Amino acid sequence: MNDIAANDPAGMAGVLPAQTKIAVRGLDFFYGGARALKEISMAIPEKQVTAIIGPSGCGKSTLLRVFNRIYAIYPGLRASGEVLLDGENVLDPSYSMNRLRSKVGMVFQKPVPFPMTIFENVAYGIRHHEKLSKADMEVRVEQALRRAALWDEVKDKLKRSALGLSGGQQQRLCIARGIALKPEVLLLDEPTSALDPIATGRIEQLVEELKRDYTIVIVTHNMQQAARVSDRTAFMYMGELIEFDATEKIFTKPSKKQTEDYITGRFG
Amino acid sequence: MSSIPATTEPVDVDRRSRTDARHDALFRLLLKACALLVLAALLGAALSTLWGGREVLFGHGLHFLASDAWNPVTDDYGALAPIFGTLVTSLIALVLAVPTSFGIALFLTEIAPAWLRGPVATAIELLASIPSIIYGMWGLFVFVPFMSRIEPALNDTLGRIPLVGKLFQGPPIGLGLLTAGIVLAVMILPFICSVMREVFRTVPTRLKESSYALGSTTWEVVWDIVLPYTRSAVIGGIFLGLGRALGETMAVTFVLGNSYNITSSLLMPGTSISSSIANEFNEAVGTHRSALIALGFLLFVVTFVVLLIARLMLRRLARREGN
Repeated sequence: MNDIAANDPAGMAGVLPAQTKIAVRGLDFFYGGARALKEISMAIPEKQVTAIIGPSGCGKSTLLRVFNRIYAIYPGLRASGEVLLDGENVLDPSYSMNRLRSKVGMVFQKPVPFPMTIFENVAYGIRHHEKLSKADMEVRVEQALRRAALWDEVKDKLKRSALGLSGGQQQRLCIARGIALKPEVLLLDEPTSALDPIATGRIEQLVEELKRDYTIVIVTHNMQQAARVSDRTAFMYMGELIEFDATEKIFTKPSKKQTEDYITGRFG
Repeated sequence: MSSIPATTEPVDVDRRSRTDARHDALFRLLLKACALLVLAALLGAALSTLWGGREVLFGHGLHFLASDAWNPVTDDYGALAPIFGTLVTSLIALVLAVPTSFGIALFLTEIAPAWLRGPVATAIELLASIPSIIYGMWGLFVFVPFMSRIEPALNDTLGRIPLVGKLFQGPPIGLGLLTAGIVLAVMILPFICSVMREVFRTVPTRLKESSYALGSTTWEVVWDIVLPYTRSAVIGGIFLGLGRALGETMAVTFVLGNSYNITSSLLMPGTSISSSIANEFNEAVGTHRSALIALGFLLFVVTFVVLLIARLMLRRLARREGN
């Protein structure tokens, strides 16, 4: 695996030493003819929280959606370049989709529980990848729910529909669903944009706890959130990666003018 | 704005809200009347068939329900054969039309490229607009000869399977339960398919993506997410089709063969409630006419029971999911 310092032109070495989990190299992305990502190169460190910020339409969600190749379910979308997960290119068609999706979990903007019971919501993903006995499954589901700080609230109603939970609980259920697969990377696409401040606080706290075990990439339009939860922050604008550095540096003395303008609220 | 004298406002506002309330009340009454009209029409139709068929329904009672005889000469009537034919042809139609519609709807919503969606969807809607008499003629002149040609092959293949085989043994007449069922399937397919297509489109993208993100295949997304999410509407669509199949008259009359038989073979001719009525109503008098109207009443009952089963099924499913 590459050391960050070795291939990092932005000079973030020494801030937080870490192994690279995902290395992006020369990534372009096209919606039909429109180019949505331009020559993105970045190294996402292992077991840290990386935030991607930028104005609407800058390509931050698009970038996230390349990491687990979820874009591939739509015709006409195309990525070129390399996204190396532990050194293997996940954009290579020979990289098994199943393997990729069990390694990289994703949580979406709006909480989307499946129309099943709470238990089944968590067990559903596990069943795709592993054959577990009923007892083992129960253990796994409980672990995932505990990990997502939801267990105490739902342990008495596992057989009830997940649609009856509050928005914040639903989002934590989605996180539980993601981590139930024991992924290595967790992608969060504006996970709190549909939640109230208290629920948001709980999710942020959870992110803080989860980064001990997972590499987390979070897309957010909320700069305070990026500053609160992330170790490193990437600023994107018009499909380009403008600056990627330690969060503290981005928010106190960014090296690019555009970053500074965005951070200080001059546009976006 | 501020130049308008404040004192005139309350009067205007009061008058306005009084007329508003009156209009609202009137509107609600109108809506209620519309809804009640449906109930009244249904009840009226059910009661008038009950009244028209009273001689047979109350006079012959259980014999009418349990007998498979149908003899206008001796005035001996039993509804079993028509009920049997109605249910069997409708069931064949469902068995064939539901999976096909499902496949078409899924293809159109999940897989088809955008340019193909429009034409195929329009074609399906056009299929729904063909009058049933045309299906009947097509069935009789084109499909029945075709069936009589392949029925010997059915005899030799499917007919050899133990247990199920009996269903496919019989003379190659072409007319019969299977033929009618297939024609019905083509007729109800557009209805089921349109409903499925509409509701599949309502499934939120994020829900499907979430499932893909967990490593599901397209089939798993459809089976585990799309179907449960749209379940009640899909079942509603299926029963809309079934309702049409149960009551379909002309097309079935042409290809069913009109014989009061209850047979184990799907290749044998039979009759259905609506085709019996269509065939005999012209010359029926007295008890015979009463028997036919009573059949009409039974169609009401059969349809009602089928709908009831659908409701119960939905409730069972909902409970299993923890709602």
